[in-house]
Amino acid sequence: MSAAPPMDQASPAAASESRTGRRRPPRRPGRMRRAGALLAGLSLAAAAVALQSTALSAEERSAALTWTGGLGEEVVASRFSARVKGVYGARSVQTTDASDKVEKATTSGIFVVVTLEATAHREPQQFAAPVLLTDDDKRYQATDKVDSSLTIVNPYIQPGWWTEGVAVFEVPVSALTGSRIVLPLKNGFIGETYQPEVEVDLGLDEAGTQRLIADAKDVYPLTSTQ
Amino acid sequence: MTSPPGGGTSRRRPIAVPVTALVLSAALGVTAALGGFSDASNEPPKQLGPGAVVDQKQFLTKFVTTRTVFQPDEYGPGGKRFLEVELEVTNKGDETTGTGSPGPKGFFFAKGLLAMNPAIASDGGPIVNIADEGVPSRQLHPGMASTVVLRYELPEGQEPPEKVRFDVGTFEFQEQFTVSPGSWTLERDGEADDSPPKVVAQVTLPVEAPVEAPAERGEEG
Repeated sequence: MSAAPPMDQASPAAASESRTGRRRPPRRPGRMRRAGALLAGLSLAAAAVALQSTALSAEERSAALTWTGGLGEEVVASRFSARVKGVYGARSVQTTDASDKVEKATTSGIFVVVTLEATAHREPQQFAAPVLLTDDDKRYQATDKVDSSLTIVNPYIQPGWWTEGVAVFEVPVSALTGSRIVLPLKNGFIGETYQPEVEVDLGLDEAGTQRLIADAKDVYPLTSTQ
Repeated sequence: MTSPPGGGTSRRRPIAVPVTALVLSAALGVTAALGGFSDASNEPPKQLGPGAVVDQKQFLTKFVTTRTVFQPDEYGPGGKRFLEVELEVTNKGDETTGTGSPGPKGFFFAKGLLAMNPAIASDGGPIVNIADEGVPSRQLHPGMASTVVLRYELPEGQEPPEKVRFDVGTFEFQEQFTVSPGSWTLERDGEADDSPPKVVAQVTLPVEAPVEAPAERGEEG
């Protein structure tokens, strides 16, 4: 009492202050702890949000494992190797099937005929419909105007030797520049994820595109090899 | 603050709650009477004619013409009659898709042709393909305009209609959380999963006079 003379002047306030004063010391670390907990919570929330940005996109979750390469190169993927040998333009494709039936397909765009060969490493493989992937990520499936039995989709790719074939696409002329061919494997009924595929740049820069269009054949003949 | 003389506070009636309740129930009643929140259709489908272009988001579709076609039998008299609907379709999507088949159980592009009036009950539905490029194709490639023909075989004895009306729907791209990145589905008329597809346009096409088609296998045979 004697140590704090001003307290006497306002005794009720002093009484309440001294009461709270007695409780204050245990509370102070509590406030610090609360601030710490808040900070920890905020940082955890921030970390969780930050972690979201590293999550795989739908494409990354499901996409095939892609081996890339250029025209003429042997691209070695996990289950097979492929080599794109040539790229040709055509205004029409004439097909002759095993029973000598001749058909001629035309297009409002241009046919792109890709000649290629492939070999398997351990087990026989079979290709699904090849895709022409454009510069702006549009996907053109191989045309159904050419019977698939005449293309690379038909034969089994065996280990030990190279199997040759073609892939034929129908695209608008504007899609040519910067396009790539994608060779996926046939997938079972229950889709297998992370299948190997080979993506080959067709080497069509501006000049290459002009050359392809200028050199486009009027009729590209395709005949059943059987 | 001084309260008004005469003890005015004691005369105040608790009206705020009943009034709010009344207003809410009235508003709810009016909303319900007008058809609720989600079921009111936004706008009636557009009525269009031959040559009309409908933006189906995934496709840009021009309704060119409708005609009847008579295909004489290769061996002997008689033949088959067809109703042909010619469309010009541009795929605005990012990947190749199919011409598909129309109606509620349809696929791909033609699924967007929700209904045809009058319906023609040909076995297995119409043949839908691109027929003018030497070899029939069922693919619609991105950025390419194709002439898609729907070919309905007219049953024996049934006269072709004078005109047909198509209910045309539209597609929307739905992102998916699962493995595939997403797919085009028909836009629905309402929030519920089972609500019917939205009709954005009704296109009425007069059926043109019969055209004689060559026999099925060509002339050489």
